[in-house]
Amino acid sequence: MFTVSHVTKRYGKVTANSDISFEVGDGQIAILLGPNGAGKSTIIKCISGLLRFEGEIRIDGHPNKSLEAKRLLGYVPEMPAVYDLLTVAEHLEFIARAYSLTGWEEYAASLLARFELADKKDKLGKELSKGMQQKLSVCCALLHRPKAVIFDEPLVGLDPHAIKELKDLFRELKRDGASVLISTHMIDSVEDYWDIAHIMMNGAFAATMRNDPAAPEEKTLEELFFEITEKPAAAGTEGTV
Amino acid sequence: MRALRYLFFTTLKNRIKELRRHPSQLLLLLFLAAMLVLVVVTAGLPREGDAPLRPMAELRAMALALYAVMFLVLCKNGLSSGASFYTMADVNLLFAVPIRPQRVLFYGLIRQLGTSVLLGFFLLFQYTWLHEQYGLSVPGLLAIMLGYCLTVFCAQLTSMVLYAFTSGDEGRRRALKIVLYVLAAAAALLVALPALKPAAAQDKLAAAVAAADGPLLAFFPVAGWLKAAVGGLVGGGADLLPVLLGLGGCAAYVAALVLLIAAARPDFYEDVLKATEISFTAVTASKEGKMAEPLPANVKVGKTGLGGGRGAGAFYYKHRLERRRSRVFLLDGMALLWAVICIVFSFFMRDVGMLAVFVFATYMQIFGSSTGRWLRELLMPYVYMIPESPFRKLMGVCRESILQSAVEAAVVMIPCGLIVGAAPLVIAACAAARFGFALLFMAGHILMERLFGQVLNKALIFCLFLLVMILLALPGVVAAVAAGFLAGMGPAMLVLTFWCAAAAALVGFLCRDILNIAELNNR
Repeated sequence: MFTVSHVTKRYGKVTANSDISFEVGDGQIAILLGPNGAGKSTIIKCISGLLRFEGEIRIDGHPNKSLEAKRLLGYVPEMPAVYDLLTVAEHLEFIARAYSLTGWEEYAASLLARFELADKKDKLGKELSKGMQQKLSVCCALLHRPKAVIFDEPLVGLDPHAIKELKDLFRELKRDGASVLISTHMIDSVEDYWDIAHIMMNGAFAATMRNDPAAPEEKTLEELFFEITEKPAAAGTEGTV
Repeated sequence: MRALRYLFFTTLKNRIKELRRHPSQLLLLLFLAAMLVLVVVTAGLPREGDAPLRPMAELRAMALALYAVMFLVLCKNGLSSGASFYTMADVNLLFAVPIRPQRVLFYGLIRQLGTSVLLGFFLLFQYTWLHEQYGLSVPGLLAIMLGYCLTVFCAQLTSMVLYAFTSGDEGRRRALKIVLYVLAAAAALLVALPALKPAAAQDKLAAAVAAADGPLLAFFPVAGWLKAAVGGLVGGGADLLPVLLGLGGCAAYVAALVLLIAAARPDFYEDVLKATEISFTAVTASKEGKMAEPLPANVKVGKTGLGGGRGAGAFYYKHRLERRRSRVFLLDGMALLWAVICIVFSFFMRDVGMLAVFVFATYMQIFGSSTGRWLRELLMPYVYMIPESPFRKLMGVCRESILQSAVEAAVVMIPCGLIVGAAPLVIAACAAARFGFALLFMAGHILMERLFGQVLNKALIFCLFLLVMILLALPGVVAAVAAGFLAGMGPAMLVLTFWCAAAAALVGFLCRDILNIAELNNR
């Protein structure tokens, strides 16, 4: 599991995230929803250890910038992180070497096959389309079998087959006990597999909703989202973006 | 036309207004203005020492070399990937509105002229030594700068026309590339052959300069014409004929190209579309603080696999692989260009001695130090996420650049030393000192990331970098000067090497945690 406690992120005078706290348990899929500029990517980058912040983030009890936390964490960025001059297969070899993995080849081959990259393993990063780069990014993030996986807008630019595979993958990660956090502004893409959804506005959580089939909510996630995001600028958002 | 005028002036007005919101840009502008004032003020000061001025023909030859290289390189690049005066906003909005394409072309030309003028500002920084060596006046420097701006402008226009008339026809494009190579080779031969004649055995440089300054190369497209025009202005008593002929030739050339594209290729939008997209990607990457690696058009994959490295060491092997694929043998393209500039400079300064060459080479080294593969690594998430100690990762990502710096120090200093006629020990010491400076500059960039990683304004960061480097290097320079008085240049350079390496190690140690503190700066 991972916990985010009172995290605030400022860029100069601009507050991108304001006092955010939440946790994602083992085998749980959490969704971050919100309009553009709500602060979803910022909190995700804070959790992934890419940004400095005030507050505390722990991955399985370890501070998020510790080596133990890094071993447990996988991150799929919004913009594919692909090296122009490495082939698809070399990306995975690089990750395996950098994480000092052993016996990774079979899992790497299965990931490539799953995302239809097996026949492109000798293609350079710069030769891949944006969708293929995104798929390669996903493979790189999952190769070390992380226990906490964070996806930033993972479905953007993917073809229908890859979207289906990725959705299946989310469910498998959940089944295997991983903690999954997905940021998106495409509500209909997440409606069937989330456990908890946080709606962000102006850098803070505006609402949290649980997906409990035993105790269904009055409103759908989409209705709640539009209710929050379409109402006039509310009080309590001063000093935030 | 009213819409284009509105767009032009509104953009200009908003750019000026933006300065209020971005003080760093205002600071940069003030810095440039201060440089201009400094140039004008120092122009009134008497020259130091009583050494005779070097022949003005050398200055004209250098101007020709600069113009010709810029013209050929820009044309060649434009031929491969196109050149565009337009932004993506122009492509999406301006190209779609009912305005005649010729007018849109004219709008692009005017705007490009402004950009070309900005590009020439770096020449102002060369005033001091040009004034000292050649007695160049401020109007003379401005003339050289104007020549440079016009060269860039003509080259951009030429490459746009070349691209427009060869797009989709690989054979025609290849033929034009050959023409460019032949042009470059012919110019090089015209300069080199007189220097190789037995009659020129006494002074090969003077023979080469005389050839470069001769009438034949004044016919070299754009660069030769502008050299002739600038030569007429910088020589003291203005010689109007070459000025009129040179500028007139350029004006006629621009007019001919504009007419050509307006008449023969009125629908040029498609031709500039790809080039605009390429330049848009580059500009966006630059705005986001990303550095795109200049890659060959066709990368040969060759042998696959990293071939080694565990943990942080994987970065080094990855960099080796990337280096091979980007067809870098000893030095990359930029490092090679800096090396050539230093070697050419040592030709002109061979009477002054090794110290002047070393100082110039170090000065140029500052500008080339900001392009390591390790810096690009900071813009990807992996270096932050891989579970290794930040210091090990820092060493892992810097290792390839450190080795390249050692090679580069030898590649630059050995030829320079041989040209100047320095003793082998002095050459070796200068190479070591250059390597020391490379380490110091690398440490300086790490320090900048550590302290100002969030600041995206490159110009401001560079000014701060310069300041920090001066402060860090100063004690070493003082110690080296003292050692120089006591024991000569060789030991002085070794003192400098030791200081730079020690300062770099200290900065590296103090910033050992940088990869835990730095931010992925691409928001």
